[in-house]
Amino acid sequence: MSSAVKLTRVDPAEPGHTPYTNYRLGAAYDEMFASAGAVRMHYAGLAQSLADLPGDELVRRQQACETSFLHQGITFTVYSDKQATERIIPTDLLPRIVTAGEWDRIEAGLKQRIRALNHFLHDIYTDGRVLKDGLIPRSMIYGSKHYRREMRGLPVPHDAYVNVCGTDLVRREDGAFVVLEDNLRVPSGVSYMLANRDVVRRAFPDLFRAQAVRPIDHYPRELLATLKALTPVRDDVSIAVLTPGVFNSAYFEHAFLARQMGVELVEGRDLLVNDNVVYARTTSGLKRIDVIYRRIDDDFIDPLIFRDDSALGVSGLFNAYRAGNVVIANALDTGVADDKAVYAYVPRLIRYYLSEEPILENVETFLCREPKSLGHVLANLDKVVVKAVGESGGYGMLVGPHASKAEREAFAEKLKADPENYIAQPTIQLSTAPTVADGGIEPRHVDLRPFILHGEQTVIVPGALTRVALKRGSLVVNSSQGGGSKDTWVLSN
Amino acid sequence: MLSRVADSLYWMNRYLERAEHIARLIAVKLETTVEQSREDAEAAWARVVAALSAEHHMTESADAMSVTHRLAFDWHNDSSMLASLGFARDNARQVRDQLTIEVWENLNRLFLKLRPLADDKSWLRNPPRLFRETLQALHALEGVTNSTLSHGEGWYFLELGRHIERAQLVCRLLDVHFGTARSAIAAEPTYFDWLVLLKSCSAFEPYCTVYTATIRPEKIAEFLLFDREFPHSVRYSVDRIGDALARVAPGAPPTRRAAVERLAGRLKATADFTQIDELMSGSIARFLAGIAAQCEQIHEAVYAAYITYGAETVL
Repeated sequence: MSSAVKLTRVDPAEPGHTPYTNYRLGAAYDEMFASAGAVRMHYAGLAQSLADLPGDELVRRQQACETSFLHQGITFTVYSDKQATERIIPTDLLPRIVTAGEWDRIEAGLKQRIRALNHFLHDIYTDGRVLKDGLIPRSMIYGSKHYRREMRGLPVPHDAYVNVCGTDLVRREDGAFVVLEDNLRVPSGVSYMLANRDVVRRAFPDLFRAQAVRPIDHYPRELLATLKALTPVRDDVSIAVLTPGVFNSAYFEHAFLARQMGVELVEGRDLLVNDNVVYARTTSGLKRIDVIYRRIDDDFIDPLIFRDDSALGVSGLFNAYRAGNVVIANALDTGVADDKAVYAYVPRLIRYYLSEEPILENVETFLCREPKSLGHVLANLDKVVVKAVGESGGYGMLVGPHASKAEREAFAEKLKADPENYIAQPTIQLSTAPTVADGGIEPRHVDLRPFILHGEQTVIVPGALTRVALKRGSLVVNSSQGGGSKDTWVLSN
Repeated sequence: MLSRVADSLYWMNRYLERAEHIARLIAVKLETTVEQSREDAEAAWARVVAALSAEHHMTESADAMSVTHRLAFDWHNDSSMLASLGFARDNARQVRDQLTIEVWENLNRLFLKLRPLADDKSWLRNPPRLFRETLQALHALEGVTNSTLSHGEGWYFLELGRHIERAQLVCRLLDVHFGTARSAIAAEPTYFDWLVLLKSCSAFEPYCTVYTATIRPEKIAEFLLFDREFPHSVRYSVDRIGDALARVAPGAPPTRRAAVERLAGRLKATADFTQIDELMSGSIARFLAGIAAQCEQIHEAVYAAYITYGAETVL
């Protein structure tokens, strides 16, 4: 793919005054530079815009962008020493640019993947064909803490279990986009995709126009259409976004989506269930709810069925759901398919259900339940990343190259004791993209999270959340660990 | 409208009204204090403190600036201006999806500007200007609320919160000058103090256009209690409370509405059919307490009918 990229030469006019003084290319694929000084074609416009900026203008625009986020209240709260402080998730001003060709492939690959995953969910909650055929070990599914027996045989609209998906892609050293993780439960970040666009478009209006960037502003409308199509109710459909509340770190996003869709934002305490029908308590009386876009984890959604210590959920919601009186999106059982062990099987699932070759590859993954793989992982603990299969958000993992010898030895014991609970992957050098740092521009590692809507139809808005590790050399893009985000420009040609 | 949303909108504006009232009392006090003798200035501060029911925050040795800090910027005093703004913002955040971006940003920006003043003393550089600017920002916020939000049910809950709070605050302020709280302050109000009272309600110029610059206590009381058109008079607030109650919870069954409307009607009758002469001959303290108590009853009735009602009563 990289060989097809044309290059334009930019020679810094005055050495020492270029913002790229500290731009050191490493082993990773760089989104902007094919080699030192050689800018990839689709980044040439950005390079020119940056060259035209007066000295401190870049920093000034970066600050304006941060102030704008603070005033809009696009913040998350950090609790420490009784004092709650609000922080913004830093947005880097420089857009991450994806070509039309790259995007077409990503889009086709993601659509294929979500179709296969929904087939898989339908299968394991009905016939279990894939288990009978021995493609996936039974114990992996029935032993998963995310498999919900309560869901067996329960019909879901259009057989679509996952309605909103945020898949994490990374770009390997060879330039190919590969899937790192399918987030099938309650993926977040789409509000940042939209908010980033707002500020970055304002910072580079001319460049934005000249580049023919594809629009993403219709995401809330597409989400609304997807949700509406999930219910047989046709007139006056009543849709609500269910949030854990104002203290949740994604609360801004929940409120944002509700407002943009023009639907109610509800908390568990607003809802009640009577005779298997869900109602919201309003000033004028009780109002029936038809579709719930839930942003609460399965475990917390109904204290009668799942965790009884949950104050966030609604008692009786699951029975209303089972009675078919309310649609919940995503369905209440999708976590079993973004289990990290199932992830390793997704390419096989694509071939099995769709009889197609996977368009997007996985990151190479070793299932520690397989003795040969376990041996390889134990021998190479200093080179691989080991992850617990049922966890997310960076919990329960070992990053081999960054761990101490003692940590690795302790982890090896855990691995040997319970190999089925772990997978391992080689450490990938995520691609780097130009990022404002210390008043100049430096490469930082990035990933890519597009959002897929799936119901009656499958729709992917041409954009994504690009997360960026703001610390030099860091490969961790999570916002809780010093990550920021970038606007993502998908070009139309 | 969700009951929880109505609750948050209502409290958002109650807290904003409280913050505005504190800001104005302090602004007026700081601007006028230079022209007063020491004794008069102390009595005037005592009136401000009494009007805000903040006596327990005061100590013998407190100077004007430490009193100001307690009333305005003490983050740990739940009734300070800053804490009120914080509560207003917390409520606004709860219903962020119901507000326009303009409303939220105006409120958020003001809060973020003032919040650091709890811990640093930079506001001492020019206190009168700071309070003037805060008032302007709060007025701008009210204007933006009125001009960018649809005047539907949510807006009427905002109105209800604002005027229930305002009626009670003005009653308390009048009580300090005319009623029971007056005796706690050593010095009798001077001409100057009556001016301060009017300005504390943004009422000086509107009063003059009705009564000329002749400052007479009973005229001031009449104006602040019964003027139909002046937005900080008790009667004006009573009328707005009535308007709001007619517009909220449009789909609620008549039986639930009845309890609220009866109380609103009684409050309106109290404001409409009372004469200032009767009050000045001794009953004003009881009258002010009665209005405040009726506002409290309306608050409780609204909650019982529209917000915290039991689900079993409507199924």
